[in-house]
Amino acid sequence: MTSTTEVVALVGVGILLTALYLQSESFVDPLIRGISIQSLLLAVLLGWLAWTERSIDLALLAGLAVVVRALFIPYVLRRQIRAFRWRLREIHASHRVTGHALAAVALAIIAWFVFQETLASVFPQPGAALPFVLMIQGLLMLATRSNTIVQVIGYLEEENAVVYAGALFAQAFPLFVEVVVFLDVLGVVLVGVILSIQRDVTGTPEEASLEELSG
Amino acid sequence: MIAFTPLLGLYVLVVAPSAAAILAVIPNDTVSELATRIGSVVAFAAACALLASGASGRWGPYLGLDPLSEVFLFMVTGIYATSSWYSRGYLRSISRPFLTSQIYYALLSAFAFAMISVLIVTDLGLMWIGVEATTVASALLIVLERKPASVEAAWRYTLVASAGLTIALFALLILYTATGTLDGFALAAAPPTVTLPIEMAVALALVGYGTKVGLFPMHTWLPDAHSEAPSPISAMFSGVLLPTALYAFLRVYRVLPTPVPPLVSNLVLAFGVVTALVAAFLLQRQRSFKRLLAYSSMEVMGLAVIGIAVGGVALYGALILLVAHAFAKSAAFYCAGNVLRGAGTNQIDKIRDLRGTMPWTGSAWVVAGAAVTGAPPFGTFLGELLIVVGALASGAIWVAGVVVVAILVAFLGVNSQIGRMVFGEADPETIPIPRGEDTGWGLAYLNVALAFAIGVAALPYLTDALRQAAVLLGGSLP
Repeated sequence: MTSTTEVVALVGVGILLTALYLQSESFVDPLIRGISIQSLLLAVLLGWLAWTERSIDLALLAGLAVVVRALFIPYVLRRQIRAFRWRLREIHASHRVTGHALAAVALAIIAWFVFQETLASVFPQPGAALPFVLMIQGLLMLATRSNTIVQVIGYLEEENAVVYAGALFAQAFPLFVEVVVFLDVLGVVLVGVILSIQRDVTGTPEEASLEELSG
Repeated sequence: MIAFTPLLGLYVLVVAPSAAAILAVIPNDTVSELATRIGSVVAFAAACALLASGASGRWGPYLGLDPLSEVFLFMVTGIYATSSWYSRGYLRSISRPFLTSQIYYALLSAFAFAMISVLIVTDLGLMWIGVEATTVASALLIVLERKPASVEAAWRYTLVASAGLTIALFALLILYTATGTLDGFALAAAPPTVTLPIEMAVALALVGYGTKVGLFPMHTWLPDAHSEAPSPISAMFSGVLLPTALYAFLRVYRVLPTPVPPLVSNLVLAFGVVTALVAAFLLQRQRSFKRLLAYSSMEVMGLAVIGIAVGGVALYGALILLVAHAFAKSAAFYCAGNVLRGAGTNQIDKIRDLRGTMPWTGSAWVVAGAAVTGAPPFGTFLGELLIVVGALASGAIWVAGVVVVAILVAFLGVNSQIGRMVFGEADPETIPIPRGEDTGWGLAYLNVALAFAIGVAALPYLTDALRQAAVLLGGSLP
């Protein structure tokens, strides 16, 4: 019989691996697939917890993770790539990915230790540090990448971290489902509206200096 | 005749901006403009009535008021009202807006509604939703003028602010797990025993909400968004959005008993000091007058955070500073909007002799510039003076020194640039402003007059509420 602890540990390792993979990739399409897989893994965990604890809220969160973050947003992002082939790879990031990967591993270890030192007394659950580590990974991606699509992926990773944390140690958090729905709405606004405005305002790819934000 | 009750005031505060937002989408310019103006004035009247009633308490599980929220409601609805009235002239000057005026007005009211919702709830989770809703409502307003730089600004704003707010949400998860509740009012009334996880939660909330407040180094969205947004929205960003985010942090900060544990208060102080200094020096290099004002707002937020960290009378000073700054800075942004509308550029070097070409706007800008940088006798001066006095009283002489340096550097930077634009002689490089463009300055005078009044007189109800709010937060009075 598979125990919840085993599922949490297995999925946690998978999520951590996808997070580290995302830091080391400069091609955009694999990045989109990566975040999609990470969201699916999270959905598996949420689904398992929903099943074992008979929680409708967790089932809803699992559904949202699949529909919005594993399918819909990746689909929209992939359409952006199809429309603009030059978006397939980050323009300036290729020579920095090794550094990103090393920084990601180092930060993951530091975040783990910080969590153990400060928060482990309140969160004794196995793997409780992983959402914290995932949040730091998302922040690293947002801070170091300039490609707009990759930044959306960083945002989705942040959201996954919050949902992961909520599922592991704050299931009774009031309005948690509403909060996640809100974050998903914001993700859809980010992707659907601003990317399309960017295309409308900046026009052709040649004019799209915004593709890589500076400063 | 219906008697006014606090609950009625709360309902009006919720209904007025939301009804205005709904009515604004009716495809008729006059209706949407009128709905917004009426909605904003009604909301402001409700906030004033609540301030005058001095009502404190809670209604149901989620709604609540105290002097702190009433002061902030007064600020938010006041700037919402003046920005609504200022918008018409500004919208007419935009040749190819990205949004229709109906959508603009609807989002403006939705933005105000989101800020109001932060201020009337007791639950920290709902407060977080309100702060996040301000991002959703205001992001599209930044791209109104359809410039590539506006899109970049909107993008950065949405992404950076949202990333920060996810950290704040993480902080709330930790706080909830450690205390079992997110009721901000209940936690403040009976603070939990301080533990490392609770301190960690407050520290994460500082980083998270601090992103939206514009604290260094999470401030990167602020200068872009403030400078690229249309001026009435810039006024709301600088005047009330940043303080609203600070309010959300204050509610988490209040979970800690007074005196606040040194680990947290020193962290808050460090963020405030660095932000004030960095902003004061960065604003010297600005070539756009709207970015200049944006960095000035960042400096003021740094000073307010210092006041919060120092506590005592400095906390009272921080609250006065926030209120006076909101009105003064909105006035400065209305003047900036007038100049932008007349000259078609926001470059400081291209603007000269406003004294001759836009005498009313020019003079209002000089006064507003002095007001935002803490010149006596404006309310900002009083607030900054109390922060310095509070720092000296607490023995933190170096903090007082840093505050004085930041104030002086920012004062010189902002006023010298505004002075050049207003009193400088026109030359072939400057852009001539056609006659008849000097309009829309009345609201600037109105708001700067309020910033003046806060500095020179004890205003009915407002001063009392400010004093009560300071005491509520653990501060003391002079």
